[in-house]
Amino acid sequence: MKKIIFSGLIAGAVLFVLSYGGLYLAVKFFPGLFTSYNNPIFNSDGSRDMLFYMHAFIISFALSWFWDRFKSMFKGAMLLRGLEFGFVYSIVALLPVMWITFSSLDVTVATVASWFVYGLLQAIIAGLIFAKINP
Amino acid sequence: MVSNKPVVARWVITRECALKVNGSTNINQFACIIPEYKGPDTLTLYKGTDPVKMSGSLALDVTTFDCHNRGMTGELRKVLKAKEFPNLIIRFISIDKYPDHMEPVKGIVTIELAGVSKRFEVDYKFIPDGPHMLTLVGTKQVNFSDFNITPPTKLGGIIKTKNELNVEFDLKVKVLE
Repeated sequence: MKKIIFSGLIAGAVLFVLSYGGLYLAVKFFPGLFTSYNNPIFNSDGSRDMLFYMHAFIISFALSWFWDRFKSMFKGAMLLRGLEFGFVYSIVALLPVMWITFSSLDVTVATVASWFVYGLLQAIIAGLIFAKINP
Repeated sequence: MVSNKPVVARWVITRECALKVNGSTNINQFACIIPEYKGPDTLTLYKGTDPVKMSGSLALDVTTFDCHNRGMTGELRKVLKAKEFPNLIIRFISIDKYPDHMEPVKGIVTIELAGVSKRFEVDYKFIPDGPHMLTLVGTKQVNFSDFNITPPTKLGGIIKTKNELNVEFDLKVKVLE
């Protein structure tokens, strides 16, 4: 349990910096990619900002538990284990969620694809951290 | 005995009126328009007064705002609380002088939006547009906050809409002296 929480915290801190830092830079340098967010389906009154910024830790703790439970199934070098973990999460969890999101919400393919890649990268980074500190 | 009764002029507002709103976020600019007025309606001007007093108003349907982008259109209507307050009402109070020439004139209006009414000084341009026809172009920079509206933010505040909006209303009027 201690290992799950510790790994989750480390991964959460790393993902927090990389995810929101990356998002900030992407908005600054590629603003055209984000114009579709001016849409009423996205919360706009700031009331959920705290929840938005907690996401890095929510995904990290969930993945940390998942890693601890199934890490014996990911074999090979650290890099390979991290990559496989990211892909497994993306196929099992992200893909179906993105599918239902696109089918039910007024969002573009590009937006959903960017969320898929964003989640995949987060899971790979988390997988690499778990493979290093909780092998 | 000399009467000081002001001379009344009536301006009939035609359907060919539009309201344009230009604004920006930190990632793009938007230009939205209410393309037509469902009037007609009449403005009354009392020419002997200084400034020239006006009465009459213009009610525009906020639910017809079009930003030429479905998401942005929906966003603006939501921010302006279009379901709750479907009308944007411009009430004409006065103009500095009766427009005999094309020179710019200032005037006072109140704008009611999202349930909040606020008084503004507006810059007018009057463009003759045929016999007894006049195009009246009013411009004013307003803020979302003037109407107790918080400019929308997205993605935890990473995308921010600026508070300022440039409003322009174009009225085509028929002048009845």
